[in-house]
Amino acid sequence: MARPAHPDAMKSSRPSPTRMAPPQMPPQYPMGGRYRAYTLFDATGFVYLLVGLLALRVVWALGNGPGAWAQLQAELQNPVYVAFHLLALLSVLFVGVRFFRLFPKAQPPRIGPAKPPPQPVILGGLYAAWLGVTLLMAAILSGGLL
Amino acid sequence: MSGNKKTFVITRFDPDRDEAPRQQSYEIEVDPRWKVLDALNHIKDEVDPTLSHRWSCRMAVCGSCGMMVDGKPSLTCKDSLANHGDTVEVAPLANFPIIRDLVVELEGFLDKLKQVKPWIIRAKERAVEEGTHRQSPAEHQEFKQFSMCINCMLCYSACPVVANEPDFLGPAAIALGHRYNLDSRDEGDAERQEIFRGEGTVFSCSYANECSEVCPKNVDPAAAVNQAKFRAVIDWATSFVVPRGGEG
Amino acid sequence: MKQWLLRLEPIIWLLFGQGILLGTLLLTGWILVVGLAIPLGLVPAEALSYERAHALASSLVGRLVLLALCALPLWKGAHHIRSLAVDFGGGERDTALATCLYAIASVGSLLAIAAVIRL
Repeated sequence: MARPAHPDAMKSSRPSPTRMAPPQMPPQYPMGGRYRAYTLFDATGFVYLLVGLLALRVVWALGNGPGAWAQLQAELQNPVYVAFHLLALLSVLFVGVRFFRLFPKAQPPRIGPAKPPPQPVILGGLYAAWLGVTLLMAAILSGGLL
Repeated sequence: MSGNKKTFVITRFDPDRDEAPRQQSYEIEVDPRWKVLDALNHIKDEVDPTLSHRWSCRMAVCGSCGMMVDGKPSLTCKDSLANHGDTVEVAPLANFPIIRDLVVELEGFLDKLKQVKPWIIRAKERAVEEGTHRQSPAEHQEFKQFSMCINCMLCYSACPVVANEPDFLGPAAIALGHRYNLDSRDEGDAERQEIFRGEGTVFSCSYANECSEVCPKNVDPAAAVNQAKFRAVIDWATSFVVPRGGEG
Repeated sequence: MKQWLLRLEPIIWLLFGQGILLGTLLLTGWILVVGLAIPLGLVPAEALSYERAHALASSLVGRLVLLALCALPLWKGAHHIRSLAVDFGGGERDTALATCLYAIASVGSLLAIAAVIRL
């Protein structure tokens, strides 16, 4: 049977005339069924935190001069860093796909007089932006542009 | 039709006799056209009259018969036996205190629902002589989806935040409050903002989307909650430009 | 402290949301090249020689993009780790944990601002 939920989950403000059994979590939670994808989605938070801090390190090294930059480039070749970046790429793709699927319906039907575009248009726009920005950045960073 | 047996493993709990909920198995002949509720009613009528469960309309509009079937929140009058195997587990709704057998305490939800003031709020009530409010079909469409909620509570059973944060208003309550915020006749947005950003804050929602997955009426409460977050941000941002306090 | 958290939630959620949206858009190309293609030798290292990298980064657009790359993922990370903690029963310590996590994200963001200014 399931695990207990928070003992005060859905608690009533009135006292009950009978003794009640405590609330139980949904049995599939946290790693069964669709909950697995949700828990992993939350867990990518660790990866993003590290990615942000690593990016910070990269920019800081760039500000420290050519020596520090060269040293960092060498460090990034370490298999641990490469493996981390592979994990980070998978996380970003996973987050992107899930978030983009959920994003269009979270737009309010109207803000003042302005209406959002239809949901398929928003979804298409998000993927187009993702592809466009990625190609542009990849081209610039790898020396193909600018 | 005969020759179809299924075993139902049902959670039982009598506070006068049981220390904690236990499971009891019933093997019965079923009609393959039955819903889970038909089987439960058969068990109560023919096998074990002590079984307690809620049900009413049998057609998915009253919201009474929500339970966990094979570990997932389900409206038992709508859930066909064909969706399940030869053994079917039936348990009371997750995340709710259990009164007896398959019956859960729903007052906690009613407390949350009252907080969001799910009625038309007007600064000044319309006089009868002025006639009814006028609303275009387009204005109606803006909130219609969120008004279809039957308060079946499946969304609360699916939500991981409800399971862990007792103060969270929860999917249905926020969806119903949002329904009124979107209603062109309503002027209560500011009042509900205080609730939406209070202890039960809409921002506790982590967009698991499970509520919308289990909703039997396609209300899409996840959309409502996240639209409500967006509106809360706009309200927060505009409050710097137009100071609030002392309603004019 | 909890009242402060409640009042700041809209901005935290905005930063978190952009951490996902802008973060995802920007991070994909960044990770592909800086994290994988160059270290693995698929792209020549001269593409991001110090001179070129510094020139790109010091432009206004470059600084803003790098700021977004460093700061926004921190907010996404902080918010999701907080959510994960609550999902696994950490609700009682939520206020303390949230304060810690957002403090890390805030300090990181300030450092990111410093990092792009001092380039």
